[in-house]
Amino acid sequence: MSVIDILTRVDAICKKYEKYDVERLNGDNVAGDDAFARLYASVDLDVESALQKAETASQEKNRAAVVALNAEIRRTKARLLEEVPKLQRLALKKNIAFCEIFLYQVKGLSKEELSTRNDLVLALPDRIQSIPDGSTNGAKATGSWTASASRTEIRFDSTSDGRFESEYFQQTEESNQFRQEYEMRKMKQDQGLDIISEGLDTLQNMAHDMNEELDRQVPLMDEIDSKVDKATSDLKNTNVRLKETVNQLRSSRNFCIDIILLCIILGIAAYLYNVLKK
Amino acid sequence: MGFFYCRTKLSFTRWNADWKNATALYEQAAVGYRFKKENEKAKEAFEKASKGQEMISSPWDAAKHMESAASLAKELGHWNEVSDFYRKASELYRECGRSQPASDALGKGASALEDTNPDEAVRLYIDACEILEEDGKEQMAFDLYRAATSTYVKLERYTDAATLLLRWGVAADKCNAVNSQCKAYLSAIIIYLYMHDFQQAQKCYNDCSQVGAFLSSDQGRCARKLLSAYEEGDIEEIKRLAQPSPITHLDHVIIKLARKLPTGDLKELEKEEDKETLDENDLT
Repeated sequence: MSVIDILTRVDAICKKYEKYDVERLNGDNVAGDDAFARLYASVDLDVESALQKAETASQEKNRAAVVALNAEIRRTKARLLEEVPKLQRLALKKNIAFCEIFLYQVKGLSKEELSTRNDLVLALPDRIQSIPDGSTNGAKATGSWTASASRTEIRFDSTSDGRFESEYFQQTEESNQFRQEYEMRKMKQDQGLDIISEGLDTLQNMAHDMNEELDRQVPLMDEIDSKVDKATSDLKNTNVRLKETVNQLRSSRNFCIDIILLCIILGIAAYLYNVLKK
Repeated sequence: MGFFYCRTKLSFTRWNADWKNATALYEQAAVGYRFKKENEKAKEAFEKASKGQEMISSPWDAAKHMESAASLAKELGHWNEVSDFYRKASELYRECGRSQPASDALGKGASALEDTNPDEAVRLYIDACEILEEDGKEQMAFDLYRAATSTYVKLERYTDAATLLLRWGVAADKCNAVNSQCKAYLSAIIIYLYMHDFQQAQKCYNDCSQVGAFLSSDQGRCARKLLSAYEEGDIEEIKRLAQPSPITHLDHVIIKLARKLPTGDLKELEKEEDKETLDENDLT
């Protein structure tokens, strides 16, 4: 048999024999019979969960998440504080057993139990208040202003404590500093932007002037273009004619004739020289 | 030079003056004299050479010689000769049908005469601009307009300067040089304000606003602000407006004027306006 099969069989068997589970029934009915105990149990549960949330909040790095968690905790606290008076009323009442099937479940309230319940109820508001929700760090807030990166969160859900007034005062100091810094930075940015805009104006003016200058030079370039074209064609013509002329001058037939005539003249000169020498 | 002289003078054996050779010889003589720095003689030689070229109907060379003669006259300091020679040279260029060198010659003459005879210089500038405008080459005239305007301002003839600037605006309009046009209009308005003639400045602004490009340009906006600051009599505002661009992009002569704004008493302007309102009240 595989594990899964075993688990399913165990579940089926447990379900079948649920009604014989004394402890659980006891737990349920104890809570079910007693309205006070029920409410108290739920309030207790909420307080525990709020404490857990506070722990996660204190360890959380993300400021937005911290703010969200603290807001939840505060809301829970407010709700629980509203339940506290109900609990107090219930604590004073005598308990009446609803279910008569389980005879040993019928409870009457003994005096000790009454007093314990009262104590529990009285202790409850303190417990609720003591859940850390991010608003109890008023004392250390002024110390944390040396680091300018950290800022205290904007508080919307602050419960109506007596501490509200003093915290508010501290907040305005911090927000004043913040506002001052913001103004200074804004002024510096404005100055920088002014300088940039001046530079851009100069650039724009220069660009416009360059544009006009180029427009001015376009027809001149066209003129130069046509004139240079004419000059090159003239040169080509001249070159061709010159080539023809030079070829004519240097043609080999003329050259041979020149050499022959030169030899003839030298021969005649030599002949004359010989004749005269005699 | 006497040698050349006898070549041209008609004599018994010579029926036609031999201008060609004479011109060549004159040119040689002129170059020689210039080299030796005998400017007077060189100038005369250039004149005669130019006349010779004219006679053999080559106006281009004639004009060139005339220009050389004129520059020598400038060095000698014969100012009326300078203007005459340059004008003659420009006419010869126009005979060739080349307007650009013609206006260049006049421009050179004008810049030579700026210090000594500024009226003549201005006239030369304006003639040069007209030559170019006839030929449709307004683009080249911008420099001439600029020089002429600065001469007028130096002479403190501000109305003339403003009129010339408006003409410059027209020329710029024809060749679609929007930036120059707006700058010319803004300069004209500033000159009117400098003359403390607020009505004239207003009128000028209204006229120039007909041109759409000016109305929507930086220069138009600056003019609007200036005029409204004048109306309110706000001296600080005027001084503040004169600092940054677009006034800094104008000609430096105009910038100097703009820095001196506001001239005179702004209260006078206000009083004039008040008087007008009182009159209206009397009528009604």
